[in-house]
Amino acid sequence: MTTILTIESNHYNKDLDIPTSAYVHIPFCRRRCFYCDFPISVVGDRTRGENSGTIVEYIDILCQEIAATPAPGKPLKTVFFGGGTPSLLSAQQIARILENLANKYGITSDAEISLEIDPATFDLPQLQGYKNAGITRFSLGVQAFQDELLQVCGRSHTTADILAAIDLIRQVDIPEFSIDLISGLPKQTIEQWEESLRKAVELNPTHISVYDLIIEDGTAFGRYYQPGSQPLPTDETTAQMYRLTQQILTLSGYEHYEISNYAQPGHQCRHNRVYWENRPYYAFGMGAASYLNRQRFTRPKKRKEYYAWVQHLIASDGILDAPQIDEHDILLETLMLGLRLAEGLKIAVLAEKFGRKTLEKIWHCLQPYYQTGWVEISANNSANIALSPTDKLPVTGRLKLTDPEGFLFSNTVLAALFSQLEKAEAGES
Amino acid sequence: MTDVPVSRIRNFCIIAHIDHGKSTLADRLLQATGTVAARDMKEQFLDNMELERERGITIKLQAARMNYKAKDGQDYVLNLIDTPGHVDFSYEVSRSLAACEGALLVVDASQGVEAQTLANVYLALESNLEIIPVLNKIDLPGAEPERVKKEIEEVIGLDCSGAILASAKEGLGITEILESIVHLVPPPQATVEERLRALIFDSYYDSYRGVIVYFRVMDGRVKTGDRVRLMASGKEYEIDELGVLSPNQIRVDDLHAGEVGYLAAAIKAVEDARVGDTITLATAAAKEPLPGYTQAKPMVFCGMFPTDADQFPDLREALEKLKLNDAALSYEPETSSAMGFGFRCGFLGLLHMEIVQERLEREYNLDLIITAPSVVYKVTTNKGEELLIDNPSTLPDPQFREQIEEPYVQVDMITPEEYVGTLMELGQSRRGVFKDMKYLTLGRTTLSYELPLAEVVTDFFDQMKSRSRGYASMEYHLIGYRVNTLVRLDILINGDPVDSLAMIVHRDKAYYVGRALVEKLKELIPRHQFKIPLQAAIGSKVIASEHIPALRKDVLAKCYGGDISRKKKLLQKQAKGKKRMKAIGTVDVPQEAFMAVLRLDKE
Repeated sequence: MTTILTIESNHYNKDLDIPTSAYVHIPFCRRRCFYCDFPISVVGDRTRGENSGTIVEYIDILCQEIAATPAPGKPLKTVFFGGGTPSLLSAQQIARILENLANKYGITSDAEISLEIDPATFDLPQLQGYKNAGITRFSLGVQAFQDELLQVCGRSHTTADILAAIDLIRQVDIPEFSIDLISGLPKQTIEQWEESLRKAVELNPTHISVYDLIIEDGTAFGRYYQPGSQPLPTDETTAQMYRLTQQILTLSGYEHYEISNYAQPGHQCRHNRVYWENRPYYAFGMGAASYLNRQRFTRPKKRKEYYAWVQHLIASDGILDAPQIDEHDILLETLMLGLRLAEGLKIAVLAEKFGRKTLEKIWHCLQPYYQTGWVEISANNSANIALSPTDKLPVTGRLKLTDPEGFLFSNTVLAALFSQLEKAEAGES
Repeated sequence: MTDVPVSRIRNFCIIAHIDHGKSTLADRLLQATGTVAARDMKEQFLDNMELERERGITIKLQAARMNYKAKDGQDYVLNLIDTPGHVDFSYEVSRSLAACEGALLVVDASQGVEAQTLANVYLALESNLEIIPVLNKIDLPGAEPERVKKEIEEVIGLDCSGAILASAKEGLGITEILESIVHLVPPPQATVEERLRALIFDSYYDSYRGVIVYFRVMDGRVKTGDRVRLMASGKEYEIDELGVLSPNQIRVDDLHAGEVGYLAAAIKAVEDARVGDTITLATAAAKEPLPGYTQAKPMVFCGMFPTDADQFPDLREALEKLKLNDAALSYEPETSSAMGFGFRCGFLGLLHMEIVQERLEREYNLDLIITAPSVVYKVTTNKGEELLIDNPSTLPDPQFREQIEEPYVQVDMITPEEYVGTLMELGQSRRGVFKDMKYLTLGRTTLSYELPLAEVVTDFFDQMKSRSRGYASMEYHLIGYRVNTLVRLDILINGDPVDSLAMIVHRDKAYYVGRALVEKLKELIPRHQFKIPLQAAIGSKVIASEHIPALRKDVLAKCYGGDISRKKKLLQKQAKGKKRMKAIGTVDVPQEAFMAVLRLDKE
């Protein structure tokens, strides 16, 4: 199956407003994990993509959405199948979606095409099929390496399933392979966390995502647990887990390139970088969030409503009915997303986009955090620059949060920036 | 405007409890007399401050002149003088009553007489007003006009045989009301030939014309260009503009005894033309001013500090502007070691304080920290000096003081019988002295307590309302000062006393208040990067302590498949909270913490 249109990659984008990334949401799961509040549909253990009318219907509608969405003319450089559990779809179904994307937008020959897969949902031919369909990156939802913790969070797989899954991934020889882990699970000890990290490193994935558990309202966990209290680890413990992660993974050759993400050199997730660099992207599927023409839009999170919305989209010639965000929102989002990256934000780019005055305001607001060592300024050669409180920000170099302390308190820093950069004062440049 | 004989003028006001339909009735009268065309009618025409509409209460007075052709074929001028409906403004009420000869007593036929109504009726009786009872909302299914009539007769002693049954909403009884005003309210005294005396019953500041003064001419005549003297302030002005309120301002050349109008005379601030002052001619001044002038005294004080120190000049400017329009507001600079520069502000009562605070934040876009309200204590030092203390942090230490006296008020509550128990509990828990209990009609009771004002200005009103499910009403007036065993309770955050959290409490309640307060502060102050001890202390003795554990992380792990909106909302919420915080030393304290003492009894 080599149905992907091959278009020469254009590495330099003059017009950053035309998206070259697409997120595709596959909302089906065998069951709902206890921490999860994503838009998903539970289909049970025996349902597979090709024998489920529900899934077949969903893919039909998804392809209608793709067809109805205008294509401004640039091929896709990254595609991300997220979920849900995209590996509940057959290779043919994934191929069909990719074909639709390729026909509509084109996909570059060196595109990064990620697929989230869960242990115990696939076999070797299926993985081979995904690879043949064009998938270049698997992201495996491991979460923990202890059966009791997997059970506690309602995962439908065991540690044995994880090892089997990784064995299969090795056999298909995919260029990019990522593992997801969650820290801060109920009853999780720091020793168990260290064990998970070490096992992950032993398996030598090119990329590791590490998420600190968030207790969301409306989830099973939200009903049973209070953040920071028993049986959840204390904030002190989870902060320690975060620091430990940083130590172990960086010593094992992974770059800590984003708050929750680590990669071997050259293996960062290009798709997710699009979000953090505040660049536009398509999104397709139930509950999926797109950023197009300065419009942020989240699709309906229930299947029937999503289907109705797609019909509406077709009827309105693919024009999205969503407000355009203004300069001020772009500034806040640029900061909020860009400071998640270890490399931070380029001072010169900020100044050019938002004005020197805004930049000074940002620097004024960050001063206390610079003093506490949560914020740092580095030259373009990545050497740190020491500034005194009265100094002005240099015109080049980068503004960033420190690892791990600045990252650990990133919300504190960002909330300070948000409150400092009042709407009325934004937009000057 | 034609010149109208005094005999055909009727000046009246409307006395009613909040929600009993005063504003709607006023609207109907304006419509029925053709004063305001139906199409120009905004709902509740007289309440023209945004805040008033929102809260459904009248804060600033308004007036309206209506022309009415009565059934006797004569043309009459009816002046409606609106009264504010809140206990904080009872002086203003008394002055507008003094400008009238009659009053409509509007009572909701499904409810009955409420405490504030009662207080205002007594004021009206003191001013010798003809009172016309009107039972409103008779169209409601729950209306019980006979019961309410009986109640008015028993409670106030007013003959209700001629009471008018009305529904302002449905337009019922409006003609009867107008006819009653003409026939029952006496005309003003014909004192046109005497020297000018006009009573100021309201004034407001207009940035183009200076203060606009609303007045009733009691004696004599006044015309545009006259040089007038305000007898209390002693200041003189030349009248630039004279007019009547219909209810929009319409210029006239002169006004005579019995008439109600407004004037503009380049007066700089309302404190130069206070409510109750007498206007006379500079060239032919009256011998005596009209009786009853007093200067409204602030009863409740609080500190107001900008969250951002840079806003201090803006705050001063805003207070200056509000003061132009609010003679009862007082303020002077206050420096707090915890809060920096701000103002100590005095108000007539809690509502007045809330209104000023809201206007500062809404109209002047200021972020403020307001400290808990305090009353004025009289402190006798051991050298025999008497000090007035309106700020707990300035209370002299125990070794320097002989005694502390605090203001007491009599609180009269009217409540359905079933809430008497819980309201008595409230009275007792606030150091109240039970005075009296009377049964009115059918299950309604008045309950009187003498209470320290300090206990009333916290959340007494809210508590009364919630304990009686909203059915009880109250009224209070100052009865004097009493000596009590009072102490200063200090609050220490991170080891440092916070002057703006200090309060004066009764010794017997200090432990309870101290404990409840540190617990509340623990809830309200967000975690910081370090552990924060919280203590309540009397002198050097710590009576309660708590601590806020350190914040260990503040990070969101994941953006949901590119859906950044949730994270952004979360940060915006956090940022908004931060804006309303004041840095005290290294601790950010939210605005609510300074008001925590008001919320100790709530869950």
